[in-house]
Amino acid sequence: MDPTTPEGQAAPPPVLISERQIAERVEHLGREISADYAGVDELLLVGVLRGAFIFLADLARRLTLPTSIDFMALSHYEHGSTPSGAVRLVMDLRVPITGRHVLLVEDIVDSGETLAYLKRTLEARRPASLKICTLTRKPDRLTADVRVDYVGFDIPDAWVVGYGLDFDNKFRSLPYIGVLEPAPDGG
Amino acid sequence: MSGFQPPVFIPETAIAERVDALARRISADHAGVDDLLMIGVLRGAFMFLGDLARRLTIPCSVDFISLSQHERGATQSEGVRLVMDLRVEIKGRHVLLVEDIVDSGDTLAFLVHTLEVRRPASLRTCVLARKRGPEGRLARLDYVGFDIPDRWVVGYGLDYDNKFRTLPYIGVVHGPDDA
Repeated sequence: MDPTTPEGQAAPPPVLISERQIAERVEHLGREISADYAGVDELLLVGVLRGAFIFLADLARRLTLPTSIDFMALSHYEHGSTPSGAVRLVMDLRVPITGRHVLLVEDIVDSGETLAYLKRTLEARRPASLKICTLTRKPDRLTADVRVDYVGFDIPDAWVVGYGLDFDNKFRSLPYIGVLEPAPDGG
Repeated sequence: MSGFQPPVFIPETAIAERVDALARRISADHAGVDDLLMIGVLRGAFMFLGDLARRLTIPCSVDFISLSQHERGATQSEGVRLVMDLRVEIKGRHVLLVEDIVDSGDTLAFLVHTLEVRRPASLRTCVLARKRGPEGRLARLDYVGFDIPDRWVVGYGLDYDNKFRTLPYIGVVHGPDDA
């Protein structure tokens, strides 16, 4: 698969994590999560748009317990990111989560500040439980005090794309995780 | 715990093969397009879109749109409203609208009209599953995964009361009485 190589297109980003490695890891996470929630009537998976949709689609299919799905969309305030990680909810959940078991599914955890903010926001609604699952995490960038329960891959501090992750909304649909070299400015 | 597992209507392998074939056709039809914008209609289309986008061999980007019914909508087409609009402008861009299921086609028509006002370079429609609508007519679509009979199908993004969406196959549930 060379999704970005019609004539005149840039070469595809080199592979950091292959499609096969992702599939194996997602399957493993699916088993782990299913075991941890054994006996739970229904787990609500909350995908954070846009980046998490491919990971969520694959992960959800590997779970062996009853699940439902909802999405949230976030955006930064006009003046850019704030140290508190505060973001605007562009689209909130359709369903109430009070008393429900919730798994928040993210594509990437960088500083973790936004995730910590999101977690506080959802905890205020008093779910029965709230855990976090991320496809990738950059341990070197982490500044927030936030516990991530399930991590697909710990990755170096590089600009990664594919499998939902984008640069300027490009490369999101690559079936693997690649690295942009050299890293774009402003990362 | 709901122990009910809907019987298989379309198995996972058949879906994968069909998604592959659709991706080849869509890639061929958009050869030379430098960036195809795929718009997924939430919530049902996310799984189909996730698989389809990965199989395309042309550069693409992804956005989502979310709809809901007005509380007292008289008909389906009058009753739809945008809960979340696109993040990106589509003027002059090639757009593929990706839906999970279409029967009357009213919701899709609403979306197509809404998006055409924005003057995309092209706008095509792709749906995982199509049923016959009222009077047995088939909605006109550019790409159809499966034409299916009038049964309540679930899985692969399709839900029944937000359940069964994450099944890896397409299954059938009957009415709430006999499920």
